[in-house]
Amino acid sequence: MTERLKLTRAAELETLPVFRQFVEAACQRAGIDRETCFALKLAVDEACANVITHGYAGMDPGSIILELNLDPRQVIVTLTDFGHPFEPSEAPQPDLSAALEDRPTGGLGLYFIYSAMDEVDYQTNEDGNHLILTKHLPAARDKTG
Amino acid sequence: MFRNLQLKKAPHKVAPDPGELSLQRLIGDASLPIALRTLNQLPRNTHQRIYRLLLPPGLLTRFDINPLTWKGPDGDRHVELIAEPGTGVVRLTVRHAAEAPDPFLHIELADNSFNGLDLALLLVRDPNSPRFHTDVDEAGHDTHFGTTRRNLKEEERAMRAGLAPGQIRAGLNASPTLFQHLDAFLGFLSHQSVFLEPLTYASAWIFERRGFAYVRGHKLMDTLHHEFQPGGRLHAALDGSTPFRQPDQWRTVRGRAWAIQEGLLSVLDTKWDGLRMVKQIGRHAGVETFPGAVY
Repeated sequence: MTERLKLTRAAELETLPVFRQFVEAACQRAGIDRETCFALKLAVDEACANVITHGYAGMDPGSIILELNLDPRQVIVTLTDFGHPFEPSEAPQPDLSAALEDRPTGGLGLYFIYSAMDEVDYQTNEDGNHLILTKHLPAARDKTG
Repeated sequence: MFRNLQLKKAPHKVAPDPGELSLQRLIGDASLPIALRTLNQLPRNTHQRIYRLLLPPGLLTRFDINPLTWKGPDGDRHVELIAEPGTGVVRLTVRHAAEAPDPFLHIELADNSFNGLDLALLLVRDPNSPRFHTDVDEAGHDTHFGTTRRNLKEEERAMRAGLAPGQIRAGLNASPTLFQHLDAFLGFLSHQSVFLEPLTYASAWIFERRGFAYVRGHKLMDTLHHEFQPGGRLHAALDGSTPFRQPDQWRTVRGRAWAIQEGLLSVLDTKWDGLRMVKQIGRHAGVETFPGAVY
């Protein structure tokens, strides 16, 4: 059975903990393991921070809609915003082999999201920008792989 | 976070030439949105059939208006449809009596530059309720919903009668039905959303309840709620200095809206401007910037 949860808040840094707590509570309710829950929180945190810092840059921030679809096989996170769209595929890959002092500040957010999630999809439509993150749950992974 | 991303500073969406609505196009990809400009090119009776979707039949029959012919018992037409070829705008105006000066319903939709639709104006009024002349100043000039000029005496009367800024009569409690019909209309045209700019704090709150989220202004609405709480700057500015700044007004949506109309936001060095909201078809965003609000 799929459980669908939704939270909409203003895109401001002060609301990041609210999104994190929402994901945490949803994971606990669904009995999702700590490691998967941490990965989901990390991805949501990074994605929301990106929307707040860049998507709504230069404008009075609008909304971020966080939707969680939980079923026994996977968790699908959909983040919708109405700010400037971005192109994940155009983002440069961070050079993790470079010396720490040679690396630019930041730039790891997308890397974290791709690392934490099993599938990442991004769509810009008439009704907003949608980042869709899929995390397969361990039990389902064990069965398939 | 993502500092190296190549952000698009502004969306590069440009509405394509809508072209003509042909049978070929109708049997083609059903997910491609149809612009109002395209509908307006159709013969009048054809686009009238389509725009009829916007008007809830129950709301028309409530005033003895035939939902199909748009005529009243007097045989006169009570619905005016303006959808001129070559434009991307539609206006529907409905009067309870053919000669009534004020419509009880006015809907105005327009194509926007991102291939979407804007709800440019929505007025719903109970024609049998008392009228307040907040729409004209004492010299008879249009106040444009109290934005460019004001009629303070009438506004005060309207406020005491329970109206919100911009209203000349009480509403009809018809917005839930109207938005269901708007959703159906958007779906018919394969649009995924509709945008609007709320005129007042009260209208923004109502649109939140109807499922809208914010493209711009969510943070502002949160800030306003915070500052209206005891100890906040807006709360402190409700000092009783004018009829629109009474101490208890922070408690209600209308009270806050009238105080904001009065210019209360100067306390925060900001103004009511630039907010933009969006409703995704079939979805309720769940925004609530004034939790537990009393209207």
